Amino acid sequence: MKGGKLISGTLRLALVLALICGVIYPVVVTGIGQALFPFQANGEMAQLNNATVGSYLIGQSTNNSHYLFNVRNDSASGVDPDITVTSAMAQAQVIHNSTNISLAYLDGLIHNNTRYSMFFFGTAYVDSLSLNILIIDHFHNSIAVYGKIYNGLNTTGS
Amino acid sequence: MIGAGYLLITALVWTIIIGLAWGLSKYLKKVYENEKTFLDKILDPVENIIYRILGIDRNKDMGWKEYFLSLFTFTVFTAAISFVILTYQGMLPLNPMKFPGMSWSLAFNTVTSFSSNTNLQHYGGGSTLSYLGQMVGIQFLQFTSAASGVVVAVAIFRGFAGRRDDSRNLGNFYTDMVRTMTRVLLPLTLILAVLLIVLGVPQSLGGYSLVKTLSGSFELIKVGPISSLVSIMQLGTNGGGYFGANSAYPFANPSPLTNYIELGGMMLLPTAMPFLFGRMLRMKKEGRTLLIASYGLYAIDLAIALIPVTTLGAGMETRLGGFSTALYTVTTTAFTTGSVNTSLAAMHPLVIMAALMGMMIQATPGGIGVGAMYMLMYVLITVFIVGLMAGRTPEYLGAKITANDVKLAVIAFLAHPVVILVPTALAYALGAVHAIGLGTGPVGFTQILYEYTSAAANNGSDFLGTTGNTVFFNVSTGIVMWAGRFIPIFIMLAMAGRMLDKKRSTEVALRTDNLIFPAILIISILILAVLTFFPFLAVGPILMHLEGIKNAL
Repeated sequence: MKGGKLISGTLRLALVLALICGVIYPVVVTGIGQALFPFQANGEMAQLNNATVGSYLIGQSTNNSHYLFNVRNDSASGVDPDITVTSAMAQAQVIHNSTNISLAYLDGLIHNNTRYSMFFFGTAYVDSLSLNILIIDHFHNSIAVYGKIYNGLNTTGS
Repeated sequence: MIGAGYLLITALVWTIIIGLAWGLSKYLKKVYENEKTFLDKILDPVENIIYRILGIDRNKDMGWKEYFLSLFTFTVFTAAISFVILTYQGMLPLNPMKFPGMSWSLAFNTVTSFSSNTNLQHYGGGSTLSYLGQMVGIQFLQFTSAASGVVVAVAIFRGFAGRRDDSRNLGNFYTDMVRTMTRVLLPLTLILAVLLIVLGVPQSLGGYSLVKTLSGSFELIKVGPISSLVSIMQLGTNGGGYFGANSAYPFANPSPLTNYIELGGMMLLPTAMPFLFGRMLRMKKEGRTLLIASYGLYAIDLAIALIPVTTLGAGMETRLGGFSTALYTVTTTAFTTGSVNTSLAAMHPLVIMAALMGMMIQATPGGIGVGAMYMLMYVLITVFIVGLMAGRTPEYLGAKITANDVKLAVIAFLAHPVVILVPTALAYALGAVHAIGLGTGPVGFTQILYEYTSAAANNGSDFLGTTGNTVFFNVSTGIVMWAGRFIPIFIMLAMAGRMLDKKRSTEVALRTDNLIFPAILIISILILAVLTFFPFLAVGPILMHLEGIKNAL
């Protein structure tokens, strides 16, 4: 009888905890997240021209473009959106050469969006996707390559 | 050299965590000694319902054998539930991505891994597991294996504390388990999960979404119940990530702030355990001894890892930078968590060596609950060595440590190298290493040694990842993970049973509550670890490091 009690008690405990920890807990957390912080809970999706163009947290390959900031291709996750400020400044020169956007504008953009890996020191970095969205949003009426991207995002939009 | 700012941040993290752990240990003592807490009003009725479903006698006090048997049987059932979910997830609900079930050997590896608090992963979660698989297959085992570590520690602490009245034994497994869930892990993970959502970790059951990117290609945005998983994976020193890239993946660890919060999350409960030990013994200074020894070893580990320059390199994440990555890698192995925020192949051989040392010692401070258990094992061996040198009968906490006690502690200690080194040698002898394309050089050897060390230490960080998904590695690491988990737990629970009934004298032959004993303890642990593992470290990471220096000349 003792063995039976051990089996039934531990099996029931396992099943009850599977329900509490495996179902109720993640569902409650999902409910809180979706109700109170929907932007973060759904992956910080980025919008441009009324279209969803990705997540601010996930880097996008831009095929070594000369008019957008490119991501690193040697990161651990493979989808790191962040690039060092040093790399961003070098890329700004390339973008300036191909689009004529002033270096001062690009430098300002980089510096306004700079963050640090140790909060206030360490590696200085910027999110490449945010920079690209800001540039396209700002120049889609004046520079043709950005207009093409902008209008291509939302074929049903204006 | 490491800048002062980095050291300041490290000191800040340590201070905050040790402070929080100290406070938490007060609450933990109340939980495990059935004292009143502010949560009673809400939780007492909930727990009563659970006890009624279980149909057990909650007041029954268990001896060490019954405690172990209950824990072991319970773990088998949790693994079985998860195995069914993982192999049949293709037909089960909450699978919007339509992932098929796992193969039997991969599912076996996964459930032995998560039920033993290892979280070695031979699968890439983001592209393999349905939401139900992540929730009931993975998160559930992360809770139960973490709680198992806590209850084992609590039962052992009770044994070491000795009988305070006639009836007391090691406690009741069921009430310890239920109270650990309802009063410790669930409230803490809930707070952490919500905090992580606020800081950008997704939590959704809405399915992956396909978006058109700026360059016109398509990208899959893999959102899911990530925050609820990350919070228990860190607090429970589990380490098995939602994604193959684990805490390097931005959704699991979006910013430097989440990185440090997750770092603190994995340190919290293992740091609280030595304090809890002191409180349950009514001898706070004995708890301090365990804490100083474990943090002393952790500091030595960190010093080794931070010798190489800690700048951002390939295989790291830009937002985290070189220093935080090295700190995280050492911490995740020192606390045997195993979540990683980098690609291990990118790390310097000395960082890998520090990581291996953490997993070989397992008490720096080690995994949730079991870290304190290993530290007590080292204490017993150390008081024996010191007793030999001083020519006195060894004693701990006023109890005489006999030859049989020391034999048990040594068996528990030796179980670790045996389950690491034998399968490492077998993997080479049977050609399994060659089959996955790794050689006999220091790089390949380090990866295989790391794999079994991580499995045996119930850590879970690894180099192999999905390349380890072969029948040989799935099954062999599966066996190693359970052997590495349950052999030491079995022996140390038996030891707690012996300690319980030992006569305690108030005369102290060897003081263990001063500041000299932890120093002796650290030295003895280092000597034990070095004597056991040095030859293997020498042909692995040390040789890699020396080759690196030679190539640079």
